[in-house]
Amino acid sequence: MRALRAMTIANMRGYVRDRQALFWTLAFPLIFVFLFGSIFGGGSGSRTVAWVDEDGTPAAAALRAAFAAVPGVKLVDLDRATALEKMKSGDNSGVIVVPKGYADIVAAAATDPSRQVAVTFYVDPSQQSDSAFMAAYVSGVLAQVNLGQKPVAVTSHAETIQTAQLNGVSYLVPSILGMALMQTGIFAAIPLVADRQKLILKRLAATPLKRWQLIGSNVIMRLVIALVQFVLIVGVGVFAFNVKIVGSLLVIAGLAVLGSLAFTSLGYVIASLAKTEEAANGMTSAVQFPLMFLSGTFWPISLMPDFLQAVARFLPLTYLSDALRQVMVGGSAYAPLGVCVAILAGWTVLCFGFAARRFQWQ
Amino acid sequence: MTVTAPAETVIRVRDVRKAYGDVRAVDGVSFAVEAGEIFGLLGPNGAGKTTTVEMLEGLRKPDGGALEILGIDAVHQPDALKERIGVTLQTAELYPKLTVVEVLDLFRSFYRRTLPTAQLIEFLDLGERSKALTRQLSGGQRQRLAVALALVNDPEVVFLDEPTTGLDPAARRSLWDLIERLRAQGKTILLTTHYMEEAEHLCDRLAIMDHGRILEMGSPSELVDRRFRERAIRFDSIAGIDDAELARLPAVSSLKHDGETTWLYTGDVPATIAALLALSEARGVEPENLTIRKATLEDVFLDLTGRGLRD
Repeated sequence: MRALRAMTIANMRGYVRDRQALFWTLAFPLIFVFLFGSIFGGGSGSRTVAWVDEDGTPAAAALRAAFAAVPGVKLVDLDRATALEKMKSGDNSGVIVVPKGYADIVAAAATDPSRQVAVTFYVDPSQQSDSAFMAAYVSGVLAQVNLGQKPVAVTSHAETIQTAQLNGVSYLVPSILGMALMQTGIFAAIPLVADRQKLILKRLAATPLKRWQLIGSNVIMRLVIALVQFVLIVGVGVFAFNVKIVGSLLVIAGLAVLGSLAFTSLGYVIASLAKTEEAANGMTSAVQFPLMFLSGTFWPISLMPDFLQAVARFLPLTYLSDALRQVMVGGSAYAPLGVCVAILAGWTVLCFGFAARRFQWQ
Repeated sequence: MTVTAPAETVIRVRDVRKAYGDVRAVDGVSFAVEAGEIFGLLGPNGAGKTTTVEMLEGLRKPDGGALEILGIDAVHQPDALKERIGVTLQTAELYPKLTVVEVLDLFRSFYRRTLPTAQLIEFLDLGERSKALTRQLSGGQRQRLAVALALVNDPEVVFLDEPTTGLDPAARRSLWDLIERLRAQGKTILLTTHYMEEAEHLCDRLAIMDHGRILEMGSPSELVDRRFRERAIRFDSIAGIDDAELARLPAVSSLKHDGETTWLYTGDVPATIAALLALSEARGVEPENLTIRKATLEDVFLDLTGRGLRD
């Protein structure tokens, strides 16, 4: 235990003092979060909101005028079914429905204070910035409409629906966490190959240190880094870009651990195949970039051409990012969560098994 | 010289063999090392020294033969062995991003019994650099750190593989002092070297190795005396005098050529020199770079293998 702890601490020191490793595993993913966060998440420019008027009265038209008066919002008149369809495909930020009988109830409310009518609006909670905007937009306009009326005649009622596409930041934060875990994992190959090349592994073999302690300390260090990445990336997503985490943090952390193990084991496969540090560097890049771009990190897999979709089906990062998106922001599933977990676990076992057989210690 | 006391055999190597493909790296090596000795394996690169030592350290398995250290079978009980030995490898690069103290503490965590870090640092004179990253150390300091790491478990037996290769003369001297201080503490030391002066200066006994075999074994002076009772007269070869004439000079027992140098081994230096000078004068030449010295391990090696150590 003492050796394992000392070895882990030594590994951590080596990592913290290695600027390149720090950059790729911590700074690089955060740069992505900030970059894409400010491109997709700021809510700058105008938003499109679908307007469904099921009442068709002058009173409803007056309400529409009040909503349309807010700058930066474009209202599109649609029927309810079309509006929801378009919202699901990401064409509008939300849907506002004025119910049939709206004018009558508003008129009746003038004499009978118990009468109230609710305007329904649809939001997708996983689209944090849109749903926050809609809530503020609807309540803000209604507050003006109701001004001077006591008691309030027009209220609002939120309906949630799940849209097919997550908005930019909500989609990207889990993806980038997946990508960062992938990088931390496969980068395990490089120091191990370097230590072998410098005969450090041989020197350690001449001490009572056991091999499982050496590998164990490596895995523990990778898990600690994974946890730091988890806290940083999720923290920035939540606090800087208002990404709403819908799932349990414990489940997310569990997935992060599993993902970290899966890619650390892939790192050991690379270490088993690479003879020199340069070869390990090259192989790490050769694995890193296809994984990064073909596993649905920056855009959904369904947007890629068919032959690339076929490739994505075999990449472990596809399933890690998909699982993280499902749990963190309620994203739609590429594969069921259980399947993702099973694939990652199976991948881990296979890779560790291969490395255990093939890794050369000297 | 050390006082001869009834010594206990600490290292026993019997008919050890190791082949890599067709190459017999170690081909039937046997020797024994007594407690408190500095024992050297002397030979050129590729002689099989490192392979022999790494089998003793439990890092390689022999194809045949027996290796026993402190009564522990190195082949079958490597874990028990590793607690009680200290090792340096040929490359002394260790964890470039850790400091001297951090690396020492790391290695201390591997052993049940350890010396305090401060004591190791003081003993190895690394005090000023204890907070430095190992990659910032000079070659000599790095090698001293490697020796310090071999001592963290206060081992009874220390293996030093080419401890001074690549060091400048001052750093080499300081490492020699260190190794002698280890002997004074009663440690048994097995070192490999291809430096003849190092073997001569440090080793109580040594084995000369070439092509995986031990050619000769004994104390440095025994090895020299066994072959050369005479002194050596050295001079640049003279074109006008042939070997037969040189061999007929008074008291000359043998002669050798090493490149452009001629060696005459003689039991009576003044008589041989006088005759050599007279002969040269008669031919109108003069022996250049004439020196006289006692025969050394270099001569022994040359005699055994027909080539120099540093080829």
